[in-house]
This record gives sequence, C-alpha cells and structure tokens, in this order.
Amino acid sequence: MSYPAKSLYPTDQDIIRNLSNGNRRKGEEDLFNSYAYFIKEGTRKYRLPEDEAFDAYSDTVLSAIEKITRGLFEGRSSLKTWLFQIFQNKCVDLLRKKTTNKSSVHQTASITDMLFQLSDSSKTVIQQLVEKSDFDLLKKRLSELGATCQELLHLSADGYSDREIAAKMEYKTADVVKTSRLRCLDRLRQLYKRT
Amino acid sequence: MQDLEYIDNYFKGTLPREENGRFEQRILSDPPFAEAVSFYCMAVQASKEHLVPQKKERFRILYRNYSHPVTAQRPALVRRLLPFAAAAAVLAALLIGWYVWMKPSSPQQLADNYIQQELSVLGVNMGNRQDSLQTGIQLHNEGKDSSALRQFESMIANNASDFTAIKYAGVVSLQLGDYDKALRFFRALQQFRLYSNPGKFYYALTLMKRSGPGDREQAKELLQQVVQNNLEGKQQAQQWLGKW
Repeated sequence: MSYPAKSLYPTDQDIIRNLSNGNRRKGEEDLFNSYAYFIKEGTRKYRLPEDEAFDAYSDTVLSAIEKITRGLFEGRSSLKTWLFQIFQNKCVDLLRKKTTNKSSVHQTASITDMLFQLSDSSKTVIQQLVEKSDFDLLKKRLSELGATCQELLHLSADGYSDREIAAKMEYKTADVVKTSRLRCLDRLRQLYKRT
Repeated sequence: MQDLEYIDNYFKGTLPREENGRFEQRILSDPPFAEAVSFYCMAVQASKEHLVPQKKERFRILYRNYSHPVTAQRPALVRRLLPFAAAAAVLAALLIGWYVWMKPSSPQQLADNYIQQELSVLGVNMGNRQDSLQTGIQLHNEGKDSSALRQFESMIANNASDFTAIKYAGVVSLQLGDYDKALRFFRALQQFRLYSNPGKFYYALTLMKRSGPGDREQAKELLQQVVQNNLEGKQQAQQWLGKW
C-alpha cells in the first residue's frame, strides 16, 4: 500500500475542526485518506473482496462524518480507535448481509439514529409510521423536485447549516435559505401525499 | 408548513429546551403531527441516501489516487503457496545443514585436521631417562620444531637405521612445511621391514597436505594400498577415502 506516512496527514483535531467549522470537503477527504488502510484490513481480516471492504470503509467514514458534524463524537477514544470500531461493525454487517440477505435493516436503523433524542414511546410511534411508509416512492418524488430544491435539501441533510448553505448557494441570508428549504420540503410532502 | 418548521427546529436543536417535552407529547397525542415528523425523518434520510453514491465515488477517486489495487485474490494466492514456501524453506535448511556438516572435505583439510589432532603433540615416555629421542619429542611438543628437527637429524646422522628418529624427523618436517624433506624421510621409513610401519600412510598424508599437481591422485592411490595391505593407518585411510 502506498499511503504516505501518518505524520503527513492532518491530526484528528484538524479533521474534526474542518468537519465542524465549514471546510467540510477537506475534512471529509482528510478523514478518508488518514485511515484508508483499513480497507486492506477488511480484505485481510474479514476476507472481503476489495470493493466490499471499500464500501464498508466508505460507509464508516460517512457515518463518522455525520456523527462528528452533529457533535456526537465525544473524543473518549482516539478517532482511529472509534473509526475502526465502526469499520469492524460495518464489515460484520456486510458479512451478515451477504449470508442472510437482510439489506433493508439499514434504512430503518439510520432513521432510528435520527430519533436518538426522543423518548422510547415517541420513538416507537415514529418508527411504526416509517415502517408503514413507502420510502422508495418518497425517493422518487424527491428526484422530481427542481434542482435548487434538491440541492437545498441535500445540503441540509448532509449537515450544512443554513448559513453555510447561504454562502455556498449565494442566498442573501440564512433565513432565506431556511424559508426556501422548508417550502421545498412542503412541496415534497404534497407530491408524496398526492399519490 | 408551520409544523415542518417546528419539527425542523427540533431536529436542528434550535427549539427552546422547555419546548422539547411538548414536542414529544404532541407525537403521542396528535397523529397528523406524528405523520409529519415521520415524513420529515424520511425526507432527510432520502436526501442522505441520494448523496451516498456521489460521496462514495469521490472516495473511490481518492482511493485510486493513493493506493495500488489490493486484490482479494492476492492473500488467497499467498495462502495457497504457503505450504510450498514452507516446504522449500525446510528443504533449503536441510541442504544448508548437509552442506555445513556433510560436505566432502578437501584432502588438504583432512590432512590439516589429522596433523592438528594426532601429530601436534607426540607421546613422551614417562621414565626418568632423558635420551635424545625424548628430547626431540619434547622440543616438538614445546613448538620448537626447528630444534626438534635438528635433534632428530643428528640422531639419524649417528645411526641411519634409527627408524624412529626418521619417522619423527618426517613428522616435524611436515609440520614445518618442508614437504619435500618430509617425503624423503617417509620414503626412507617405508624401506624398513617393521611389524607396524606408518611410512606409506605418512607419505600419503604429506601429499595430501601439499596438494600439488598430481599429489592428490598419488595420495589416494597410496591410501588404497594402505587399506588393501592392512598397513598402519588403515582405519584412517578408509575414512578419508569415504570422504574423498
């Protein structure tokens, strides 16, 4: 593997700072590059083909980025230890998925992640509603929205603040972004309910 | 749209803390509101999933730029070849061991070993009588070979049939590296009709040590004669011929 020495990479603090304070793209790429050698570990330890080990690692990085941007990484262990733990779980999930073909588990699990701050009773209500919904249809309706609407919703879901979106998409203020974004969301809801 | 703003504020963490309890309570008591929360969560999730392939593609490009492809087959190939590699290592170790311990020694090395072990210290009679022969042997054992040789030559000059002095003169000449002289003494020794005469054996030994042109072949021939005729040095000659 021709990855440069670890010292050439930014520190964990640099990565977390970039992910939290605006320079998201650099933070994401630095995080990916710093621990990309995990992919080799995945091929060696879990005997995954390289493509699948890459997928597991990419999912790991995406999950870590989301948690870091939401302030959920508490720094109780090093970034590497924490990331490797997630990576191992992803590899095991992947192996299990291959043997049991349970790919649908992930989607519900991701939404459950969003609901972590709700009490158990409220969470159960939302989970039951999600399970009754047509998620694929919603994704289809999302793709039918205008390009600006889609971008607004995607950036927001990706963890960008309204202020960051305003700077990125050249809106005057964060409030304008918020209003536009919520209008897009309402439009999506109408499209979804119409069917 | 107001409910969506309320829900958005909750999930973005901008809702006042005291409002959080009411938000949860509304989920339990207001089904359309719970529907709206579920829709909001699914919309966010759908947007995230839309981004995943783009981000993965970006990561893939990063990975390609920084890494050589790691094929899943490579570890499998290594594992398959491992028994062969282990067998090759064992074979190499055996060959090295055989080469170190069992390799055929050169006649010169065999001669060196023999001279070192058998002739560097000669037997001395333990009696009190201090004759010329014992003096010569003692000088040799003390490393004074030149003096020892003079002592033995002096004895031979006094008595040309002193085969013991001739034998020791040959042995000392051999260790002094004067092979021609040693060969002359051992050739003379062979002329004596003795019950046990090492002359031929020592002559072969000297040729082995000198290892000049034709010496090895001649030494081999002499050693074969020692064995065939059951002469002194037969056992050693057999060993050497086995390693030749």
